[in-house]
Amino acid sequence: MAAVKETIEDVKKLEADKYKYGFTTDVDTEVAPKGLNEGIVRYISAKKDEPEWMLEWRLDALKRFQEMAEPKWAKVDYPPIDFQDISYFAAPKAGAKYESIDDVPEEILKDFEKLGIPLKEQEVLLGVKGAAASAAEARETPKVAVDAVFDSVSVVTTFKEELAKAGVIFCSISEAMRDYPELVKQYLGSVVPTTDNYYATLNSAVFSDGSFVYVPPGVRCPMELSTYFRMNAEGTGQFERTLIIADKGAYVSYLEGCTAPMRDENQLHAAVVELIALDDAEIKYSTVQNWWPGDENGKGGVYNFVTKRGDCRGKNSKISWTQVETGSAITWKYPSCVLRGENSRGEFYSIAVTNGRQQADTGTKMIHLGKGSTSRIISKGISAGRSDQTYRGLVSVHAKAEGARNFTQCDSLLIGDQCGAHTVPYVECKTPKAVLEHEATTTKLSEDQLFYARQRGLDEEAATALLVNGFVREVLQELPMEFAVEAQQLLKVSLEGSVG
Amino acid sequence: MGVITHTPAEQTLIDLLDGAEDWRAAAREAVVKFGLPTKRAEAWKWSDLRRATQGIEAAGVAGYRLDGSAIGPQITLGAGEEMMLDLTATAGVGIAALEIHVPAGQTARLIERHDLAAGAFVTARLEITLGEAATLERVVISEIDADAVGALRTRVVVAKHAKYRQSAVSFGSKLSRHETHVSHAGEGAEVDLGAVYLLAEGRHADFTSTVTHTGAGGVTRQLVKGAVAAHAQGVFQGKFKVEQAAQQTDAKMTHRALMLSDKAEIDAKPELEIYADDVQCAHGNALGAIDETALFYMRQRGLSEAKARAMLIESFLTEPLMLIESETLRERVTGLLRVRLGEMA
Repeated sequence: MAAVKETIEDVKKLEADKYKYGFTTDVDTEVAPKGLNEGIVRYISAKKDEPEWMLEWRLDALKRFQEMAEPKWAKVDYPPIDFQDISYFAAPKAGAKYESIDDVPEEILKDFEKLGIPLKEQEVLLGVKGAAASAAEARETPKVAVDAVFDSVSVVTTFKEELAKAGVIFCSISEAMRDYPELVKQYLGSVVPTTDNYYATLNSAVFSDGSFVYVPPGVRCPMELSTYFRMNAEGTGQFERTLIIADKGAYVSYLEGCTAPMRDENQLHAAVVELIALDDAEIKYSTVQNWWPGDENGKGGVYNFVTKRGDCRGKNSKISWTQVETGSAITWKYPSCVLRGENSRGEFYSIAVTNGRQQADTGTKMIHLGKGSTSRIISKGISAGRSDQTYRGLVSVHAKAEGARNFTQCDSLLIGDQCGAHTVPYVECKTPKAVLEHEATTTKLSEDQLFYARQRGLDEEAATALLVNGFVREVLQELPMEFAVEAQQLLKVSLEGSVG
Repeated sequence: MGVITHTPAEQTLIDLLDGAEDWRAAAREAVVKFGLPTKRAEAWKWSDLRRATQGIEAAGVAGYRLDGSAIGPQITLGAGEEMMLDLTATAGVGIAALEIHVPAGQTARLIERHDLAAGAFVTARLEITLGEAATLERVVISEIDADAVGALRTRVVVAKHAKYRQSAVSFGSKLSRHETHVSHAGEGAEVDLGAVYLLAEGRHADFTSTVTHTGAGGVTRQLVKGAVAAHAQGVFQGKFKVEQAAQQTDAKMTHRALMLSDKAEIDAKPELEIYADDVQCAHGNALGAIDETALFYMRQRGLSEAKARAMLIESFLTEPLMLIESETLRERVTGLLRVRLGEMA
């Protein structure tokens, strides 16, 4: 088959330069010595000027981590990680905190500028890159507040004052520990306990920075919040921790993006994200994950081992995860919802694209505990090149969750015959008063549809992009408008050279 | 992992396998090292064999019988024969094993019945090989004592152009694990796997299967349906693996189950592992309760609730049994379901 041969050749051509975020920024960086031990944990805690209880919390996690074994159940294959060969803290030298945007080193601002992330508020007002702010649309350009995390520290958070007017707290988690210790104490680790799993425990011991959001009762957050994670320094890992609390009746939409320079080594990213939605609250969490995936031979790339979990604690609360996963050499990630509240709702929309030698084992967990809780899972996986991708999900309905409903659909698309696509959905149901449905398909791009699109004058690559976009449309629709365009572009880039 | 302390059942199993060769030696080794599988083992997460065999100590007698007579470790079927295969066991730990071969181009039918006594723990191993263009229909009826434990594993090798059709019905027990592992050569070969479980209070049944497609153009259809009463647990774990050479595989897996009561439990894991791009693979899984509208409608027509319920469950469950070629046999199996449903009402 000619098309297959072409695919193989195209995949071979897949060059690293497709990844446009692969540059490094020369910044005077302070890097902690490599190794994982009590000293390093104390060092990180001291660097961040943390209260004593936080240090205890970390040390306890470290102790537990040292007794745990690495999980092996995921369908990913990588050489053992030497946890002593990683530096657990890296920060631009000028200091871990900047009082205002004017103090942030020019190199870092330029770095984010290159990434298309505006950090100066006046620029933000001009619109986010990728936003369809055409003149025809007379609507106001949406504002997006950004928390920028550079290696281990949050360098700047924009629109803080404006958010404060609405009562919304949006800051780095280190600041939150200092300024709102009660909130942090109450909620940190309440969704993902310290010893939840291997990587979450590691994160609990060494996490550096991340974002903290608190939306007070009845407040609809006036703008999109976002965090941009950038891994820059060599030989380091990034271990951020995000905590978002939507109090009764509150609403917040949050987006995270991530990139890293191209390096031959594998960098570890082990984050923990905790979401808490109280009565009638809603959190919408969107991710565009584009860590460096490694080159076509599988050299380098980020190991993305992330624990993300939302707790629908209150009645009628809702948590929605949307993810576009195109980066990372290895992804191990299951954004989940604990549907504790009565009539609470969990949603998971995912597009995962793997190409080259990427491996992704990703999916979600919906734990139905509350009466009338509902969930919806839409997962679209696209495998190309020599990559391997697994959807792994759990829908669990407890005996008390009468009236629970779940709908799951996971579709996989294979492009080329050297890749793999797998589906592993777990279902556990303990009440007859629940309705659970699951559908999954695995196919390749339809020759008929491709032919049809080409008849209409599209070249093969454009036709493929069109069909792929159709395949993932249900998920793209869930992204905030401003980012849907960007995600669409990202899909195109990720699949470039894999036409089959 | 430290050295484990063996349960009496494990110790008896180890003694029974002592000095054995071939697969028995490997099995013994595994039990010595890890014991019987517990829910901590991923593949046994909903069927804790070690726990279920607590209290079973002495050795028992288990074995396969063909048309009522004892048989050797291997048999060959063909020429359109219909054979009755019985797996029987007395209380205690027993091991049974049999190899069945259907030569190229031959056709056969196997009706397999399981009769395990209370307090029996049987680990059985059936190896079936189908030659090129051979056809085998296997109908399994598992009516074992509520207090028996069965870990029954069947491996089937299906050659090119061969047809393997399996229909199984299980009424469960303390723990009933029915494993079917098919190696599917494709090239016109077809595999049908149908299964039904109907579990009265407190029973457990587990249908676990893998179908590995190794050659191009294979067809696989799997339909598993179940109904589960209070404190009973139905488990379905299905896996389709499509190797890179198995292009144009057409495989469909469906599991549907009814929960008849509060405190019923159903666990399912329908899995796809695919390395070929030009394939059609799908799986569906749906769980729920009896449709109250249908029930209401039938009661309006004058049926008692119990009768209406039984009819709805029966019509739901019999779909996989349509696979059974012989009408008399199909009727017999459906009749068994009806009797059980009557008892459960």
